[in-house]
Amino acid sequence: MLLYKIKKATSCIIESVPAHKILEALGIRKGVNVRVLVRQPLGGPVVLRIGQRDVAVSYDYAKQIIVKEVF
Amino acid sequence: MQSHDNRGEMPRAGEIPKILLIGNPNVGKSVIFSKLTGHEVMASNYAGTTVTYSSGKAKLHGKQAVITDVPGMYSLEATSIAEQVALKLLNAGADAVICVLDATNLERNLNFALQLKELGLPLVFALNLMDVAEQKGIYIDVLALQEELGYPVISTVAVRNIGLTELLSKALTAAAQTGKTRREHVLSSEERWKEVGRIISIVQKVEHRHPTLWERLGDSMIMPFPGLFIAFLVLAVSIGIVVGGGRGLRAVLLLPLVNDFYAPFISSLVSTLIPEGMIRSILIGDFGILIKIIEWPFALILPYVFLFYIVLSFLEDTGYLPRLGILADGIMRRLGIQGGDLIPMMMGYGCAVPAILGTRAATTYKQRLIVSALVALAVPCASQSGALFALLGERSVLLLVLVYFISLCAIILCGMFLKRVIPGQSDTILIEVPNLLMPNPHALFKKILMRIKHFMIEAGILMLIGIAIAALVAETGVLVNFSKLVAPIVVNWLGLPGEAALSLILGILRRELAVLPLLEMELTTVQLLIGSLVSLFYIPCLAVLGVLIREFGVWVTATLGISTIIFALFFAGLINQAINLILFIM
Repeated sequence: MLLYKIKKATSCIIESVPAHKILEALGIRKGVNVRVLVRQPLGGPVVLRIGQRDVAVSYDYAKQIIVKEVF
Repeated sequence: MQSHDNRGEMPRAGEIPKILLIGNPNVGKSVIFSKLTGHEVMASNYAGTTVTYSSGKAKLHGKQAVITDVPGMYSLEATSIAEQVALKLLNAGADAVICVLDATNLERNLNFALQLKELGLPLVFALNLMDVAEQKGIYIDVLALQEELGYPVISTVAVRNIGLTELLSKALTAAAQTGKTRREHVLSSEERWKEVGRIISIVQKVEHRHPTLWERLGDSMIMPFPGLFIAFLVLAVSIGIVVGGGRGLRAVLLLPLVNDFYAPFISSLVSTLIPEGMIRSILIGDFGILIKIIEWPFALILPYVFLFYIVLSFLEDTGYLPRLGILADGIMRRLGIQGGDLIPMMMGYGCAVPAILGTRAATTYKQRLIVSALVALAVPCASQSGALFALLGERSVLLLVLVYFISLCAIILCGMFLKRVIPGQSDTILIEVPNLLMPNPHALFKKILMRIKHFMIEAGILMLIGIAIAALVAETGVLVNFSKLVAPIVVNWLGLPGEAALSLILGILRRELAVLPLLEMELTTVQLLIGSLVSLFYIPCLAVLGVLIREFGVWVTATLGISTIIFALFFAGLINQAINLILFIM
């Protein structure tokens, strides 16, 4: 499922991420557990919690990140 | 320690060792730099505050080192101009490198640390923000981390000066060691993350606990609700402090001081010393140098600039601004920029120079250019706002609101236009949300002081020149001739009095100088609006032109300069004609 489609307050595991230096440096990489905190309206970013930290990922990146929901 | 030198352990005796401060963005490098060297550099609670390097000397027990504060980098591959600067410094080599790690975000920071180790430079690690980490329930075994990394690790709380002496001492020792290159095995990206995971599992313990009220506040700031409500509140309080506070300061303290004491005193003094004539007029006339030199900067501008920087500095240090950027991203992406660019735009309301420099943290040229152009065209700086408050605030608050509303509309329309005409791509938002922190009062105070000092020096000289020109031009009759020359534009098209031409001359020097001469004229409400709009959109000040040339070259600057003049005159005139037409019909 695309990260952009994930509803807020849902946890998921990242299955595939486009190759991107900053995405990787911010810890957004395959196999990592993230929690979607919020999805901003008007094509704004998705805010993810990765470990102890929150990262805002734009709509455009979130469309390219594939995740699997964890229940 | 001294005897070590004599035994020849210093590699190059007599030469001062060079130490670099390196690390991920927003880990506290600039705070450490300021504390170690005593040089004040700007530090804030978000990524990308430092976009170029600063160097300074640090001393400990008679030993010296030149320390360089390097812009933060996400990896050893540059994605922005600021990161290019950092990489260049790193490649130039150093006698030792202090790598600053954020204890609240160890995983990502360790990944960078492992990359850095592969370069084989003499390293010392500072594990910073240890206080915040503990508040968050993150416990790190510093000795175990030191064992794993194979280099000294010092735990620090930079804002409170904890651990910094030991850090410097370890860095000096590292710089003094000979045979320092120590090539490490280069890991693949996957291997490196695995290694990070292994180290984390050994050194870090996270206590799961309920989020504090403060953390919950930080989280709710990025939710559309109540985030937008909080944003509105923060904005309202900020404007209240700056506009209301500024008005109060002026009314109660500054204006009485100038109008009731200083001006009459100087006027009577000059009148007794100098006979009536041109020289007296130049000194104490309508644009009298001796009066305006105190009234304009101190009574009209400084209170607003001062209050604005208090508010901006406070917001910067809390870490609120990136959160606001996340909320605003949906709108900003339609202007060819993104939420991360909100910070340089906000800084533009203080001064356009650091705002334009701040765009170096942006990853594409197009974004940098759009932000810089918008700031240069339609974002009034604190000085200009001060002047506008003085001009309009007394007459009509509604008019003041209208001017800022028009400026906001212009930003949106021009952004949409520039997004289409400037070739290239804009990167979309990808930012880290910093910890929401209560600013350290001491650090905040120093930062505000640094900005005010900077403002006084930067603005002071140009304002002095501007005031001198105003007095000379007004009193020698040059203004009358120039006014006649530009009357078709100023009088017929803009509907302003002929003397308003003075604004167009002085406005080139500084933004507020385009507004201040209007205070001396008797203007109608429509004229106030038109005059304000011309000065708002008119060419940015000399300092901004200088920084634009440095960042984008002469051509871009010339294009921007000329288009802002044309836009200001055309647009303000259009509104004037439209109002006249409406009034005529009614």
